[in-house]
Amino acid sequence: MENNTTSNEYVRGTLKTIVLNLLAEHDRMYGYEITQEVKDRTGGAIALTFGALYPVLHKLEQEGLLLTESVEVDGRLRKYYSLTHRGNETAVSKTNDLERFLEAVKLLLAPRNLATE
Amino acid sequence: MKRLQENRIDLISKYLRTSKLNPELLPEILDHLACEAEERLWDGKPFEQVYQDMVSTADAQTLLNLSVDHQNLLAMEKSLNDIVFENRNKLYGAYQLRKGYGQTVQRSVLMGVAFFLFLIMFPKLYARLSPDSKPGDIAYIVEANPVDVTLEALPKPPVKEEVAPAAKTIKSLTPEVLPDEQVQIETLPPVVEDLATAQPSTKTLDGVEDITIIVPPVDRGSIAKSDVAGLEARKDEIFTFVEQSPQYLGGNEAMAAFLQKNLKYPRQAAHAGVQGKVFVQFTVGSDGKIENATAIRGIGFGCDEEAVRVVKLMDKWAPGKQAGVPVRVRFTLPIAFQLD
Repeated sequence: MENNTTSNEYVRGTLKTIVLNLLAEHDRMYGYEITQEVKDRTGGAIALTFGALYPVLHKLEQEGLLLTESVEVDGRLRKYYSLTHRGNETAVSKTNDLERFLEAVKLLLAPRNLATE
Repeated sequence: MKRLQENRIDLISKYLRTSKLNPELLPEILDHLACEAEERLWDGKPFEQVYQDMVSTADAQTLLNLSVDHQNLLAMEKSLNDIVFENRNKLYGAYQLRKGYGQTVQRSVLMGVAFFLFLIMFPKLYARLSPDSKPGDIAYIVEANPVDVTLEALPKPPVKEEVAPAAKTIKSLTPEVLPDEQVQIETLPPVVEDLATAQPSTKTLDGVEDITIIVPPVDRGSIAKSDVAGLEARKDEIFTFVEQSPQYLGGNEAMAAFLQKNLKYPRQAAHAGVQGKVFVQFTVGSDGKIENATAIRGIGFGCDEEAVRVVKLMDKWAPGKQAGVPVRVRFTLPIAFQLD
């Protein structure tokens, strides 16, 4: 639980990029599918709560980066999300940004190790 | 994957509704929670425990946060209309009208401008579309049908002369012996005084008194002659009425004698039994010569030509005088052809 809250703190800033990146890999996904994908690929290290995910999805939709379509599955309406053309471009640039940011963070976190070497 | 029974889905839905989740978000969250629950069930956990876990993760506060986030998101793109129509019936129609107002105005302006441009440009467009006529073009083809042209009789010029005078006659019938009851008392024989100026006829007509009647040639005696004092003509002008009329030398009797002597009753006319008057018009020159003699009204059968021929023979005329100067005068002479 403690682990989750700390991860959530970092996830909050990168969630948008994560979602865009995941959608770039798939044609379309629905909310629960995204949380499961994140959970599976990180081995449970990052757990997306629906309370955090859906506001991000809705925001991206409003910005015109995502398209939605509702399909009835098992008597329930399932909302699928897919990237628009602009969404694809944004996904690429955001991913690059995050990668550079992570490199920078690594450099920030590394100096002690480098110094010892 | 185990499917969630309907009543259990309803249970979750009811929970979400009671925790005042935004209705717009409800289907999506419901699907999410249901998927999660199904997976837990698939792991072999009882539904009661799954439900409890679900309620603990999706507690009221989390759901409220979701709703608020969503509300904030919508608020960003809210327009004046949305604020005006908040908590009002948007399905009524006014909302749609207001929402589409900008678009409607834009479209109508474009259409109006296009329409008026078209109206203004129409003459030029039409002129461009309709081909110009070339000099060699045939504009119309008219089939030419032969038309029968008939000469209309030209209206005859009105006769200048007054209606030709008829000879003054007096009714003078040969007395007939009739039974008493058929005797007409009114037809009295003319008196001698009447016959002095008129000629006997079957009717009484008020005509020219001094007309000469030409009868088939009967040789008469010669006529007297007299000289004419020639005077020079003043003008070439032809008069109709002059102070002193031209006169045949020797007077009307001499003229009548001359005519009777020279006129020959044309054989054709005599054969056809034609009789009547020929009006010969001629000009008496200032030198007393006859010019331009024509029969202006005749009876045919050679009588007209005969009358003209004889008139031309007359050369013993005293010219008419105007102010003492001999002038050319037009003269019309009736000549009567009469069979015995």
